[in-house]
Amino acid sequence: MVRNIVVLGGNSHPALVDSVCATLGLPPCNRILTKFSSGESRLEISDSVRGKDVYIIQTGFGGNGSKLNDHFMDLCIMISACKTGSARRVTAVLPLFPYSRQPDLPYNKAGAPLFKAGSSENGKKDYTFESVPATPAPGIPKSAGLINGADISSKLLKTSLTNGNGSQSPVKQTNGDGTYFAAVNGSGIGSYTTHDYENLSHIGAFSAKPGYKQWVAQAGTLVANLLTCAGADHVITMDLHDPQVQGFFDVPVDNLYGRPLLKRYIQQYIPNYKEAVIISPDAGGAKRATAIADGMGMDFALIHKERRPTKITDRQNASMMLVGNVEGRVCILLDDLADTGNTITRAAKLLKKEGATKIYALLTHGVFSGDAINRIHASAIDKIVVTNSVPQEKHKALLGSKLEILDIAPIFAEAIRRVHHGESISVLFNHD
Amino acid sequence: MSAEMANEIKLISGRSHPDLSNNIAKRLGIEVARTISLNYSNQETSFTVGESVRDEDVFIVQSTATGDVNEGLMELLIMISACRTASARRITAVIPNFPYARQDKKDKSRAPISARLVANMLQTAGANHIVTVDLHASQIQGFFSVPVDNLYAEPSFLRYIRENFKPEDCVIVSPDAGGAKRATSIADHLNTAFALIHKERPRPNVVGRMVLVGNVEDKVAILVDDMADTCGTLVKAAAVLKENGAKAVLALVTHGILSGNAIETLNGSVLQALVVTNTVPLGDKVERCPKLKVIDISPTIAEAIRRTHNGESVSYLFTHAPV
Repeated sequence: MVRNIVVLGGNSHPALVDSVCATLGLPPCNRILTKFSSGESRLEISDSVRGKDVYIIQTGFGGNGSKLNDHFMDLCIMISACKTGSARRVTAVLPLFPYSRQPDLPYNKAGAPLFKAGSSENGKKDYTFESVPATPAPGIPKSAGLINGADISSKLLKTSLTNGNGSQSPVKQTNGDGTYFAAVNGSGIGSYTTHDYENLSHIGAFSAKPGYKQWVAQAGTLVANLLTCAGADHVITMDLHDPQVQGFFDVPVDNLYGRPLLKRYIQQYIPNYKEAVIISPDAGGAKRATAIADGMGMDFALIHKERRPTKITDRQNASMMLVGNVEGRVCILLDDLADTGNTITRAAKLLKKEGATKIYALLTHGVFSGDAINRIHASAIDKIVVTNSVPQEKHKALLGSKLEILDIAPIFAEAIRRVHHGESISVLFNHD
Repeated sequence: MSAEMANEIKLISGRSHPDLSNNIAKRLGIEVARTISLNYSNQETSFTVGESVRDEDVFIVQSTATGDVNEGLMELLIMISACRTASARRITAVIPNFPYARQDKKDKSRAPISARLVANMLQTAGANHIVTVDLHASQIQGFFSVPVDNLYAEPSFLRYIRENFKPEDCVIVSPDAGGAKRATSIADHLNTAFALIHKERPRPNVVGRMVLVGNVEDKVAILVDDMADTCGTLVKAAAVLKENGAKAVLALVTHGILSGNAIETLNGSVLQALVVTNTVPLGDKVERCPKLKVIDISPTIAEAIRRTHNGESVSYLFTHAPV
């Protein structure tokens, strides 16, 4: 039992709120959180928060008939209401941080088509040096070989659905600009998007102005600023996709790790785990995966998203390359987040091809949006293990015994208790 | 690029009300900027920019569709933030119906002042200027530390009344005490009589007993308000006016939010017509409700954008509606 503390839950994950409250031994704060018929959020907090230490739990997950942006606005309204209600301190607890995955170059599962901005009707003809050469303009055809006269929109649509475009990298052909674009493409984890769009058909109708390279807004900083502006004094989250997000805040951010949970699962439930191989499905997650592999004395392998297919006939797998040996071994794919499930299912396919006997996928956040469930069903993954940082009831019903859920409520309850009492929470970081 | 071409109006449209944006663009003789807003499958909003806004005067038009307020608001914030990171010279958020305008005071313990939160969020995202229409409470302007231009639909309404009725046959009626000022202003301009309905409101979205103050006998009663949400108030007020001998009853409302069963309520009411502006996207409501008439507000907004861009006074628009 802890005193002077109020745990206020949003609508995104009621089960986790109850579970955290049960662990802390206090009832969740009474509140009404619905929508007016106009669509505006309606909040009434029934319990006093004056002088209290308020923890607001809301995860960045939309689904099951609720919307992510609604949840986020609700969170901001709750924070603001507690602040104006004279709460001593307001802590936002976001098991999954919304908008934490920064989208990269648009629709660039293949990366390259953006450079062929010249389309038959608006490419070369309209382009003059008077128009806005924003950056080293990719739309400028430097050599005749680049003008392919193809319709950009159909290209974009096609390449966003399939992976890898057959042609050789045009980066080298836009001589002079090559270094710049190579740098953009090579910038770490971002170079391969796992975001899927809900409404693909709209993308086909969109094209940037000739000579301008379109880009996608990154909302991570905005979300951080909005939370601070609403009045959050402290943020607790788990396994941020980009640890840099922590730096977007001026208030303290505690980034908890799901790693100990995953480690314990490996030790307890994977037979002969010392013989298994830990796999990172992309270069960005290599650090995360090696940390676990080192800690447990296991072998490690990495899947590298090779972006230049060597053979046009083998596009699908040419864009992925395994570094390390998995033949005849049990593989444990390790990642922080699975959204559309593209990365891990493709990785699993490659591992099977390379001779893996059994494939586990261990993730902190199992968002499983779009057709992720179907993808996983059809994939070579034998067991997928996630935490309940987002509601998993529906996923469990669909995936059945393939899905294993680890409970993070104790970690968050302990973090809340420690933050409230001013104790160190670094113990939670390196606890194995 | 030549020097005089620099710093032009860039009109960016959100998804909520493309018709309004297109009307404004047409009026200004420009094209809506090439951007696209989409949702990822995980429901995060994505905003793609397809042309340069560097050093331009950016106007972002985003209304909020009924039932999808938070979605529209978040999209707007992302658009503003994107333009700021793309080095726009000035970012003006054009929000015809300001979201959460009714949650503007702490009327209960721990009630959120969401209007102020929205104001803070807009500024945090990077808005340098706000253009809106008929704020529910003009004090909301005080929540901002950036300029807010609160435009009025009143000149458009005055013209509508003058074109369709003889002002001496009309009585302007305020459906509640809070709107008395708005209604008297119209009555003064038309030099007509004025009446007021007093109501008791037990709970939100529920209407209590109503009492008419003033005389509406054998007159055309024109109800004036800033927003019509579930239309409960308006319809009850119309019934009260009819009981008190009004010849006909119509309503002039700036924001036609029309949520819930509003359309059915309207269709079954004694209201002769509900005239709204197109600050809120109406969708198929016009087809579903023959009583619904729409005044286009885009000339006023477009003129405000033009004047703001050129550094001219906007106050002319408070009394005149551009044709």
